[in-house]
Amino acid sequence: MSINDSKPKEDVIEALHNVAAEMHDKMLKGIAPTMTLPVRTKSNIGFDDKLGVYKYGKKKTVRDATSLGSARQMLRSLHVTEFIEEMINSGKSSTLREMYYISEAWGNGKFHSQNESNNLAEDLEIVTKCLREDFKLRPEEDGSRIIGNVTFEERNRRGDWMRINCRDDVGDSGYGVPYNVESEKLRLVDEDIDFIMAIETGGMFDRLIENGFDEEARCALIHLKGQPARSTRRIMRRISDEWGKPVVVFTDCDPWSFRIFASIAYGAIKTAHISEYLATKGSIYLGITADDILAYDLPSDDLSKQDIGALKAELSDPRFSSGWWQTQIELMQELGKKSEQQSLAKYGLDFVTDTYLPEKLAHPDVGLAY
Amino acid sequence: MSEENPPPGKQKQIAISEFFEKNKHFLGFDSLQRSVITAVKEAVDNSLDACEEERILPDIRVEITRLNGDRLELISQDNGPGIPRGAIEHVFGKFLLGSRFHAIRQTRGQQGIGITGVVMYSQLTTGGKTSVISKVKGESSAVYVDLGIDTRKNKAIKSGERRDVWVDGLTGEEVSHGLRIRTEMKAKYQRGRQSVYQYLRMTSIVNPHASISLVVRDGDGDVIEEGHWMRTTDRLPTVVKEIKPHPHGIHLGTLQRMLREAEERKMTSFLRHNFSGVSMRAARDILGKSELDESRQPRRIKAEEAQRVLDSFQKVKLLNPPIDCLSPIEDLLIKKGLSKAIDSRFASTVTRDPRVSQGNPFQIEVGLVFGGDMSSDSPIEILRFANRVPLMYQQGGCLLTKAIEAVDWKRYGLDQPGGKGIPKGPAAVLVHLASTNVQFTSEAKEAVASNEEVLEEIRRALLEVGRGLKGHLKKSSQRKKAREKFELINIILPEISKKSSELLSREEPDLAPVITQIMNAVFCEEELGWDSERKLATCDITVFNYTARARAYTILAKWPESDMVRIEDNPLGGRKEARGLWAWRLDTLDPGSSATISFTMSGLSRGDWNDTEIFFRGNGDIIGANRIDEKLLEEMRKRESLDAAVEEVRTRGDAVVSGLTERADDTIGEEDLANDTEPDLGSLVVDQGVDE
Repeated sequence: MSINDSKPKEDVIEALHNVAAEMHDKMLKGIAPTMTLPVRTKSNIGFDDKLGVYKYGKKKTVRDATSLGSARQMLRSLHVTEFIEEMINSGKSSTLREMYYISEAWGNGKFHSQNESNNLAEDLEIVTKCLREDFKLRPEEDGSRIIGNVTFEERNRRGDWMRINCRDDVGDSGYGVPYNVESEKLRLVDEDIDFIMAIETGGMFDRLIENGFDEEARCALIHLKGQPARSTRRIMRRISDEWGKPVVVFTDCDPWSFRIFASIAYGAIKTAHISEYLATKGSIYLGITADDILAYDLPSDDLSKQDIGALKAELSDPRFSSGWWQTQIELMQELGKKSEQQSLAKYGLDFVTDTYLPEKLAHPDVGLAY
Repeated sequence: MSEENPPPGKQKQIAISEFFEKNKHFLGFDSLQRSVITAVKEAVDNSLDACEEERILPDIRVEITRLNGDRLELISQDNGPGIPRGAIEHVFGKFLLGSRFHAIRQTRGQQGIGITGVVMYSQLTTGGKTSVISKVKGESSAVYVDLGIDTRKNKAIKSGERRDVWVDGLTGEEVSHGLRIRTEMKAKYQRGRQSVYQYLRMTSIVNPHASISLVVRDGDGDVIEEGHWMRTTDRLPTVVKEIKPHPHGIHLGTLQRMLREAEERKMTSFLRHNFSGVSMRAARDILGKSELDESRQPRRIKAEEAQRVLDSFQKVKLLNPPIDCLSPIEDLLIKKGLSKAIDSRFASTVTRDPRVSQGNPFQIEVGLVFGGDMSSDSPIEILRFANRVPLMYQQGGCLLTKAIEAVDWKRYGLDQPGGKGIPKGPAAVLVHLASTNVQFTSEAKEAVASNEEVLEEIRRALLEVGRGLKGHLKKSSQRKKAREKFELINIILPEISKKSSELLSREEPDLAPVITQIMNAVFCEEELGWDSERKLATCDITVFNYTARARAYTILAKWPESDMVRIEDNPLGGRKEARGLWAWRLDTLDPGSSATISFTMSGLSRGDWNDTEIFFRGNGDIIGANRIDEKLLEEMRKRESLDAAVEEVRTRGDAVVSGLTERADDTIGEEDLANDTEPDLGSLVVDQGVDE
């Protein structure tokens, strides 16, 4: 399976035209144009047994042009359609940010913030069941960094395949994951690891590298940089699929980190239309757990108002419906506390690699003792 | 302060400078920042009072220059009557502490010791003299003189006196009358909420008949701050009458003093002559209740007897004091004053009828401006005034502030965190208390003392302007929604149609039914403008029928009808429904069609008319207009015919009794005006015409 079993361009254009046709048909009937989208909230994601990830359900929302905002959004999507059609026909591509600036020329259809253009690109992906790669739109976001004994081949700008070992051929900052990690750009060649560890913060990523944890525990370390980019999630999925390596996730203990884990393990709400490409089923949440705050007596901060709200929302998020997550969330609510990865430094710089991680990895539920 | 601090002249053992030093906190010279504000205040208040008395429209110029070492040069110039040569020493060199309790009227009131304090402060801090130029109308030259104060004799020392022609440095013209003061003092110029700038800005708001300018320069002559507030009306404040104190507002000390100084031989005549609201019967009643003989000599009344008289004042039914001793600013002028000082979108003002509290007549005026450049996430600006004097300090402890805090502003569209306190939002609220006897919390006269009746009056006035604000906000949100819909159907929808047709290579659809489906309502939009060539205010009202049915309406619009303001062009004709309310019957509006009513008005200046209200009669609602309330309209008409009858009687009366005094005539005129402004018809209040 590849994310880029790229669609024939005629299909992409047709799918986009269907969006325009829905509007045009409505106007012919004398009613306001509409655009039908799946509901993109937690209330409309469900577990897909076949794929093992969360996907959008059947709920649809109909955006109709009786309000100025919706009408503008429709006009924009028509401009975007035209723009994509031009790019497809002329063999060009652009970044989402470039499209945002190009929209300056669209008069009443221009975007007022890049967020608007990003969201619209996602809307169109979902409605047309195409990917932004099909639309020739690239993200601005860069992928993350990898360190560990894995070897990739990446096609460089001259079109040559370049062989890179992510332990021996890179500096301390590791291998920079490109935005396109599909097989036409990146090949997974060789490995000598037992698992992949995804790390939320740069500080902890660097700590583990300095302590030589990747070699000691025979793993590849990936820095998530907060909520991970599509390419970061995609490369983890490929490593897991192609090499059969488990993914463990090591984050702070706060409600937002839980969501990072959920987007890796089950699929993100915003990109649930492509969860089967991006989510790695069976990913393991290693820590920091609410239990750890007590068990290791970690320094902690009070939950903010926003934290409390986020936790409450997670209780009703289907992705956190398992007994284990419910217990963790409720415990955290009870404690009223959150804790950072780096709070482990309370016991010294080596505590995380000498004690915490070995103990967590050796836990029977994880089974990655080394 | 008169009772607590006897004139220094009577207590020779205290040097005048010592007195000044001791009392400088309430004389307003307690800090370097405040001293310059106080000095400007004394000079400007004097100028305003002098101009008012002589019925001159004031032009006041203040210039401040920073000198070395915390010193400032202050120049204040007016076009007032000037001071005759012989009176200059008296005005500038004497501490005017004499009490004037026999005559009570609304005055700006001396804060501290008047302009003498400025001369004094300058001398004490710099050793220098204050230079005065005074020109009296009709005299061939102006008097130039330098003044200092003999601190032992409490007397001015003149020097360098001469006469010369006075040519204004700015205009190059000879000054025909006016006064110019130049002095140096130890002081600091500061910007912000408590500054000379703010003081003059506030002064200009409540003195719309004055033109005031301020220029502040640093040592190099560069301008660091300036303000120019032009007059917005040529109408001077009405002359206030002096009245006698009312028994309900008198204190024991004052009563004893009045008794001591009384020239009457009998208590009955003393009471009748020295107080307002005391008839012969009331005087007898008071004395009876005080168990005092009517023929007792006032000067022989003992302290405990005086106390009995005081107690009896409260037990006897007395007439209210006269209320024509007050000089309100009047709502339209407040509106003008506020609009000139603050850039805003909406202004609402209320002048309440005069009332009496504890024997003192008082009158409340409030104004509220909203929108424009004002910041929306900070507390509103509070502009407090007592007898047209800005109050700049002790905002928190002031009754005027407390009254603002006592209003539930959320109901009127302002944010009020926690449901109490000073609201937040892009607004400024003005409160003016006019009274013959403003009670302050302290001698510093910066905060008005608590008084339930005054508080309640202010609160009511605030509710009135609050309702106005609420209406305005509702209207602007309706207008915004309508504008969005128009943009949607006129701009965005046609583009969607064009673009989608292009992409799909299809024919463009007919949008008319789509528009009807989207709008499904009748809209009304009015546009007020100004024809600068013909000096006419213009108004276009357009009604759009975006429903599937034909509609028929009568549209009514409010306009500022007055003796001065007339409708000029009005091609659709229509008819007058009431004063300031015109109606047009529209032909049937088919689905998708619109009709426009246009008319113009003369007698207004640009910017005078920036808000109207549209009403309708007919089936189905109109967005942007209100259904007319026929009952209110009927009431309004009744009232008008009553007014007309009164007017007729008055005119006829004038013809018969042509010997009526001018003053009485004036009074009737004012009452008439007051009737017009009475907002007693709910939403159907008709805008008042412009005054000029």
